[in-house]
This record gives sequence, structure tokens and C-alpha cells, in this order.
Amino acid sequence: MKFKIQRESILKPLNIVSGVVERRQTLPILSNILLTIDDESILSMTTTDLEVELNSSIQLDEVAEPGEITIPARKLLDICRTLPEGAMVEMTLKGDKVTLKSGKSRFILSTLPVSDFPATEKLKNPLEITISQNNLKTVIARTQFAMAQQDVRYYLNGLLLEVSANKLRAVATDGHRLSLCDTEVSAEISDVKNVIVPRKGVIELHRLLNDNDENVAISLGTNHIRVEFEDIVFTSKLVDGRFPDYARVLPQNVDKIVYSDRETLKQALTRASILSNEKYRGIRIQLKTGEIKALANNPELEEAEEIIDVDYDGDDLEIGFNVNYIIDALSAIPTNEVQLGFSDSNSSCLVQPKDDETCKYVVMPMRL
Amino acid sequence: MIIHVDMDAFFASVEERERPELVAHPVIVGGQPGKRGVVCAANYRARKFGVHSAMPTAQALRLCPDAVLLAPRMALYSEVSHQIRSIFEHYTPVIEPLSLDEAFLDVSASQRLHGHVSEIAKKIKQDIKDELKLVASVGVAPNMFLAKIASDLEKPDGFVIVEDENKQAFLDPLPVSRLWGVGKVTLGLFNKMGVYKIRDVRELTTETLQQHFGKHGLRLAELSRGVDKRTVTPEHQAKSISNEITFAVDLEDKRILKMHLLQLTEQVAWRLRRKNLSGRTIRLKVRLSDFSTFSRSVTLVEPVQSTQIIWKAISGLFDIFLSEKNLPIRLLGVGVCGFDGLSQQQNLFSDETQARQEIDKVTDEINERFGPAVLRRGSTTIVP
Repeated sequence: MKFKIQRESILKPLNIVSGVVERRQTLPILSNILLTIDDESILSMTTTDLEVELNSSIQLDEVAEPGEITIPARKLLDICRTLPEGAMVEMTLKGDKVTLKSGKSRFILSTLPVSDFPATEKLKNPLEITISQNNLKTVIARTQFAMAQQDVRYYLNGLLLEVSANKLRAVATDGHRLSLCDTEVSAEISDVKNVIVPRKGVIELHRLLNDNDENVAISLGTNHIRVEFEDIVFTSKLVDGRFPDYARVLPQNVDKIVYSDRETLKQALTRASILSNEKYRGIRIQLKTGEIKALANNPELEEAEEIIDVDYDGDDLEIGFNVNYIIDALSAIPTNEVQLGFSDSNSSCLVQPKDDETCKYVVMPMRL
Repeated sequence: MIIHVDMDAFFASVEERERPELVAHPVIVGGQPGKRGVVCAANYRARKFGVHSAMPTAQALRLCPDAVLLAPRMALYSEVSHQIRSIFEHYTPVIEPLSLDEAFLDVSASQRLHGHVSEIAKKIKQDIKDELKLVASVGVAPNMFLAKIASDLEKPDGFVIVEDENKQAFLDPLPVSRLWGVGKVTLGLFNKMGVYKIRDVRELTTETLQQHFGKHGLRLAELSRGVDKRTVTPEHQAKSISNEITFAVDLEDKRILKMHLLQLTEQVAWRLRRKNLSGRTIRLKVRLSDFSTFSRSVTLVEPVQSTQIIWKAISGLFDIFLSEKNLPIRLLGVGVCGFDGLSQQQNLFSDETQARQEIDKVTDEINERFGPAVLRRGSTTIVP
């Protein structure tokens, strides 16, 4: 194997795939990157942490000698990063070493056999879905913050994707709050398919997606999800578990509806939160005709009060929340106007864009 | 100075008080002999026949066929225990109960109000006799270790004061088994070394003790010199709640070890709920036969008090421990700390949480009414 490439050209795919390479790997092969060159001089790079696999490829300008090998990913990235701008990089496999030459620099890197690299399973009869990059990035951005982290209920440590013929719905919950977002897709499916993508895969995928309307091809297998776009192939294992019945916790009978300017409400809550208990983040919300009053205090007996003018004409209500949950929801909503629905002080609050059913946030209250 | 109050034959004495017709009879409180019941308590008349607690009831009745066998009435004993506690509270708030029938008291701050510590101890003993018609043995000493020995020394109806300057003379002639943490195994080792009295332990160098017993040896060296640095900790101020068990014979059977762990977990979780505490950090303690002691802990996202969740954490920690270390095991302990108060955040999927709370609540109610461990999880039932 032998090829020549410009520093900038190799850095792009390297940066893409290095996301899943961890510094402290228990299995040495997992800190390596798999390099493959085929007969058409396409250089392909693959990394994996056994849960998520990333692959990116690039067409080489010069004819290269085909071959494949694995070398330490982090070291390769650090070397290429620190080479001068515009430098040409030449890599040659000789025996079990790879020599990297660039100008007056020369590096000899150790290798591990390709057969050690964990091979990806082929997806059997996958469900194929087409969606635009924009839309996929958006549904993830609007839901991922509500995923649980290292919860014993492992099925909450991920994002639920629910696919029907023309709709993709993403749902995340940590058991205290829930986020939901719908978008359009086209899929060859007559019923509904549910999968849970693990937290790490979700965050990685969100990082890789761009804001453009090019198509993304999603393949859903029994145990894996594969997402292909631009020069990238993202593959992740699925969480084997049953997501809770989220539809049951979407509030049905909110009778107290508040309309507010999103930014004004968010800023007021953010200020009040400064004096809420650092750990529990409790905030007291009082609803009155035409206003929301937000009250916070902490163990040092400091207090904050914010009054926000809103469009509300219902009964008075006092209810407590973890203020971060409300702020997270407000931050994820794209519109200027938001709608908050309440029923009583022991029931969840429904936050959503005004007159828009495509994304919903459910937050359970706190007893104060 | 510390006071240790230990009720004499507590369950049996309460029964005698409640049923005057029992006076002058040997009384045993315990389970039915046909159902492999054991003795919970025996009065002194029954003890003369060799009956003692934890003995199978069948054996006890063979030793003392005339004994009156009574089923335990835990609710009653628990009520009397609360009355005893209110007597203590009259003299000091610094009370550390060890069980229903014994407690440590630190009255250092109350002496100006209630007189010298020995007078307070006398008053407490007298109050228990006058108000509750029950007899307590009382030990007064410079620390907890000595106070506990003192209360036991002249049981029943004992009253022993150990002054700081006399503590060595008091300890020296006592058998080595009086030292805390000296059970069958340690005693056997000591006897092999020709050590029988606490004096013999004191005469060993700290190095020798450490060689034979590890860290525990340092503690034994201190205790043999009458040194005990622990302070009386009232439970409501406790920073952690833990229970541990030392086995008479070191154990290797993982199944049996897990049962003991589950029992400890149930006890700790019950104490948490009784004190309305929830903790985020769950700790497993394991001591191997060579006295090496290990602690493994995990910190959860939210403070908990549910038996099921604590058990999930403890059994997970134990599995990891087993994969790292070799058996046999001498001691197991379960502890919970990091009390932040229960988070008031409500849950979206509350069915699960509610089900756990219901199980805990019902179990607690039944056990408080009919005695500890009447109702327990299926996998603990092989443990007697």
C-alpha cells in the first residue's frame, strides 16, 4: 500500500472518523484506524468503539497502490494536524510498519493486522428511509438533550426513532422530562418501526450532519442503524430494550394555556435560576391573568423574582419545576412565540411552539 | 464520660410485666419449636437452665421443659423502647441506639443541669424502674467500648462505673473475647499465641498484632489499652447508615453470601425509610479471612431509599468484587451515605417507582407489627 495526499485532504476524513477513537482503549485495535485503498484509488478510513462505527472516504488525485492496514488513529491525526499547511503526505506500508513522509519529516508507525479490526455486520433486509440532512439534524437537535445519562433503565440512554411511511418521530426522555419532534421522510413501510439509537451514536451523528438539504439514506436493520451522507457512513448498534410508552405521558387535558415571547421568558427564567438551589434547580411559577411570576430561592436565603407579561386568561396556578428543564425546552424551540399548557400543580407541563404540533416538550413538576 | 444502658432480658421482662401470672416462671420469647423457631429472649430463670437467645426453641424447651413459651410481640417492645428513649431524652439529646433495648448516651453537656454523670446514670436506671417497671444494667466509662463492657459485667441489675485512672486495672483481667471484633476465629488465633486475657493482648507489641490481624490489629491494641475514639452519634445526625455481619465461619458459597447481603440491604433500607433519609452513595464492605478489608461504592443520580434499587447497586458491586478477589469472606457490610433529602422531582413514568414504594411500605408495616424479617424477599429465606 502506498499513496500520496495533501495534508488538508487527509485531515477532513480523519477529523470525521476520529470522534469514536478513545484515548484509553482496553482493546488496542480500537485505538487504530483502518485505512483501505481500492483499485479506483479511493482512500477509505474506518474507526469503531464496537458500538459506533464511522467511515469516510476520499478520491485520491494520484494513482495509488491498493492495500489495507490499521495504524494508531490519534497519532496519525496529531501528526497530520501539526504538519505545515499545504504539505504533501506520503504513506507507505513496508512489512509491519507504515512510513509517513512529508518534506523533511519522517515517521514510522506501528500497525496491527486488518483481520483484528472488528468487522461490521451486513444489515439484512434493512428498511430504507430517505430524509434531508437538514431535517435529520433538526430532529436530533430538538430532542437529544432530554436523553438520560447512565441511567439503570438503559433504554432511556438513547433516542427513540419511530418511522412510518411519511413521518419520522424522535423521542428522548430521562424520566423527568420528555422531548418529541416530527419530520417528513419517505420510507417503504406500511406500519410503524421503532428503534433506540444509543446516546453516544446520537451525539456523534449530530456532530457529523450538516445544514444542507442533500439527501441522507438511513438503513434500519434488526440490530444496527446505518446513515449515509456525503462521504460518510455512520453505523451504530441499536439499544436492545423497550422504550416506555411515551404517548401515555403526553398531557391530554391542559386547560391553562399561556402564550409568551420565547426569548423574554427564557431570559427571565435564566436570571431567576441564578438564585435557585444549585443542586435541585427548583423554581416556583405563579400563573395569573396576563402574567407569569417566577420565584427562586436558595439555602443562603437569597431570592429572585421575575414577572413576565404573557397572554393568559385562566385560573391562577402555582407550580414548581426544575428550571433547567424548562430552559432546555425553550432553547430547542425555533419559533418566537411559545405555548405552555398546564392543568394542575401535580401534572406535567406541555411546552411547544405556538400553533405547531411538530415538536413537544413535557416537563414533570417538582414539589416545592 | 459515656453511659451505656442495656435492658435486662428485655422482651421477656416486658412480657413478665404485662402478665403478672408469669412471675416465678421461666419465660422464653421465641418462635414455635415445630417451625424451627429460635429464642429471641429468655428471662434469668430460664437462662439458669442454659437457655440463651438465638438457640433453637426446641433445644431450649428440652433444657427447660417447664418454661412458658411466648410469641414475640414486636409492636409492644417497640412501644416500650420509645418510652425508654423518652427517659433518655430527658437527660440528653446525644443518644445512639444500638437496638430496641440498648443505647449509648453522652451526657457531658448535661452535667451542669442534671448533676455528675454517675448521678445521671443512677437517675436513668431509677426512672426506668419507677416509670416502666423494668430493670436496666448501666455502665459508665470514659468511652463507648468500656461503657458497654461495664454495663454487661454485673448483669442483671448491674451498675458499674469505670473511672479513667482505673480503666487498665478494670480491663486487664477480662477474657480477650471481651474485645470488640474478637469472635471465634480471632479467639482461636489468640489462644494459639497463648493469649487469654486482655492483659496478654496489651503486652503484645502493636507490630505483632498488626502482623497477625492487619488493620484490625491496631484497633485491638488500642482497645486493650482502653482507648476508643468513637463518639456517640445520634441517628438523625448520622452521615451514613450501614449494617454489617461477621460470620462465625468464613463463607465461600456465593449464593449464601448474596442472601446475607440481601438481608443487610433490607435492614439498611428499612432504617433509611424509618428515618426518612435517602442517600446517593451505596457502599459494599467486604473483609476476607486474612482481615484485608475492601470497600466498593457507587454514586447514583438520585438519592434512594428503595430496597430494590439499593440491592441492584449492591449486587452489582458484589459481582464486580467477586471477579477481582478471592474468597473466603469473613465480613459483609452494606452502607448508604450522601443524604441530600429526597429529590422532589416527580417522574413521568411513575408506575415503576410507585410499585417499589408500595412494596417497601407494606413490607415495613408488616415487619414493624409482627417482628423483623417476618416478611422478606424470597431469595433470603435459606438464611436462618
